[in-house]
Amino acid sequence: MDELSSMLKSARQGKRQQVKWSRRTRENFVLGMIFLLPWTIGFFAFTLYPMAASLVYSFAEYHPKAPLEFVGLQNYTALFNDELFWKSLSNTVYMVIIGVPVTLLMSFFCAVLLNLKVRGQSIYRVIYFLPSIVPTVASTILWLWILNPRTGLMNTMLGAFGIDGPNWLGSPDWSKPSLILLGIWGMGGTIMVYLSGLQDVPISLMEAAELDGASWLQRLRHITIPMVSPITVFNLITGVIGMFQYFAQAYVFRGGNSLGAPLNSTLFYSIYLFQNGFLFLKMGYASAMAWVLFVIILVCTVLLLKASERFTYYAG
Amino acid sequence: MKRRLFSILSIAVVLAMLLAACGQKATPAPTEPPKAEATKAEPTKAPESSPAKLRVWIQWGDNPQQVQELFDKYTAISGVKVEVTAPLEDDKILPALTGSEPPDILVLSGGDLVKSYAKESLVDELSAAIQTGNLDMNDFYPAPMAQCQQGGKLYCLPWGTDLYALFWNKDLFEAAGLDPEKPPQTMEELVEYADKLTVIEDGKLKQIGFIPDLSWSHSDLYVRMFGGFWYSDDGAKLTVNSQAMLDSLTWQQQFYEKYGYEDVLEFSSGFGEYNSPDHPFMAGQVAMYVDGEWIAGPNYISSLKPELNYGVAPFPPPAAHPERAGTIVNQGTVVVIPSGAKDKMASAKLLAWMMSPDIVAEEFCRNANLPTSKKAAENPCFNINPKFKIFVDLMASKNAYAVITTPLSLELNDALGQAEEEVLHTGADAKEKLDAIQKEFEPKFQESMK
Repeated sequence: MDELSSMLKSARQGKRQQVKWSRRTRENFVLGMIFLLPWTIGFFAFTLYPMAASLVYSFAEYHPKAPLEFVGLQNYTALFNDELFWKSLSNTVYMVIIGVPVTLLMSFFCAVLLNLKVRGQSIYRVIYFLPSIVPTVASTILWLWILNPRTGLMNTMLGAFGIDGPNWLGSPDWSKPSLILLGIWGMGGTIMVYLSGLQDVPISLMEAAELDGASWLQRLRHITIPMVSPITVFNLITGVIGMFQYFAQAYVFRGGNSLGAPLNSTLFYSIYLFQNGFLFLKMGYASAMAWVLFVIILVCTVLLLKASERFTYYAG
Repeated sequence: MKRRLFSILSIAVVLAMLLAACGQKATPAPTEPPKAEATKAEPTKAPESSPAKLRVWIQWGDNPQQVQELFDKYTAISGVKVEVTAPLEDDKILPALTGSEPPDILVLSGGDLVKSYAKESLVDELSAAIQTGNLDMNDFYPAPMAQCQQGGKLYCLPWGTDLYALFWNKDLFEAAGLDPEKPPQTMEELVEYADKLTVIEDGKLKQIGFIPDLSWSHSDLYVRMFGGFWYSDDGAKLTVNSQAMLDSLTWQQQFYEKYGYEDVLEFSSGFGEYNSPDHPFMAGQVAMYVDGEWIAGPNYISSLKPELNYGVAPFPPPAAHPERAGTIVNQGTVVVIPSGAKDKMASAKLLAWMMSPDIVAEEFCRNANLPTSKKAAENPCFNINPKFKIFVDLMASKNAYAVITTPLSLELNDALGQAEEEVLHTGADAKEKLDAIQKEFEPKFQESMK
């Protein structure tokens, strides 16, 4: 094993040298490959092949029982003239631009609080983490009750402060913020990642700053935030990718025949894609949508990674 | 060298498995059940030609256990085991129909997709199955059948069906000074009654006379009352911006316009769950509304709010067209045989059994839906409850229609639903919206009818 790892190491360092494998190394390699095989087969059969197939379908009209009818770029050009495509894209971008930063800020804030050494710290942590282990469908249905404008908990509570709560899910202006709210409630995973990052901030730096007379806020601004910046980038990128693919909650909120209601304000990209593929039987069109989304996500991720280089501090 | 050999080998293995996986789909479906099942079936009393097990998928299955028990009766008489899967997620159906292992019988909750499936040859034309099963086609009510017919061919058979009528709260009628035993006789009268039945206190709605789209859209019924539909009757033309469509939307819009779009939406946003005594009709928040036969059955008002004093009547026609009285629009469960089903003979036999009047009566009596078989409708269980009988009688109405379906149904319905929401809930101009849809869907429709 050592031989293999040293070989890999030298390979990484760019040293090209002919190493003769011992019998044992070879056996190890074969064994390793065999262990990898289930994943490899799964990847080829269930990820790569469907992806490649969808790329082909995106240039065709798909007929389940008849050969593909190639239509060139027609699916793609049709997208640009499809009002609902733009509507679904703008709804999704709204969620990415507003939902992701809000969730990120909130979870960072919560993580900082949960990192404070107070009595019952672990209980607070459990409380904040719990929602994220509730299944999406269950939590969404729970929120359907909470956000019921007349009888729900939310408006009852707002009413106690004399606020006339909005028609959360029924109004096109409030339906997306409602979904963002639901997302914030279930952000335990993000908090957890932040929390682990916060615990990696070296105490020595904190103590040095404290001795120099830096306030809590200054330490947060100049030590904590830069030290967890890689975590922020990670959370940001996974958050953006996740939000572009936003589906389950919106599907549960408005199941069946009223997907996207009210007034198409919750018609997200993946919802419209699903509709086209599985309800309107336009698999080619849906495939084209999927590839456009793939490119959008790819571009966003690359841009975010590039932009983040300037703000990110990687220790070591 | 050996290393390369290994990697080549492993790639070859992966490719071979991939090919095997794809190849399965390409090879024609075997007409016999898999061996393992066949051998397992041998000890049972199943005749040699019968498959070991038939799979029935039901899209809309409120109570899978009960449906399984129903199909167990088929096992008892035929020895063929039937496995029921219900309810189904929408996204499971298409892969099942296109894959190599479709169910032997698929029960869809509506006819919306049948014509798309038929167009893509995913479901069978049923004349052979009807012959095999020796089905009496005259026993079917003609209206629901329209969901299944395309160009003289039949792609599904209606199993149970629904239709809608007017429900009114007699106590609220009395409180408003109306005769509690006399529902509105015309659509115009309904508007007048609705005004009298709407109560506003301190500028806030306390009770509303009529909400045209309570729970979901009922445009199909209204537009028929105005003498049209969004397709021509033969389903060959798109008539989205016809006068009937416009009349239907503006007639519905007036209720929102009069009582205030925002106010009605705010009022209705607090309505209780459909399946609970907090339902706005049961809670006395809405005095009249349109709903289906199941509401008059044993599982809704009778069990949720037995003290509710209400009546049911056919939805009234417009004053100028009394001949449209008794207009109904059927929609409901349809049964298809997937084209990839392995043993068509067995599917056909099961289909025939499902359609037999006794079984139809049993299934839909229990679920308080309407039978599509005339003989089944004679079963006393549909006729004891006078309110439910109103629906059963309406099945035979001379003005009975079904929702017209085409390969474009789902997509067009989605757009129509959207337009209706904008017109009713935001006050958008009905004509503008309908014209826009007609323009957008005309080419799509032509394309889909090819």
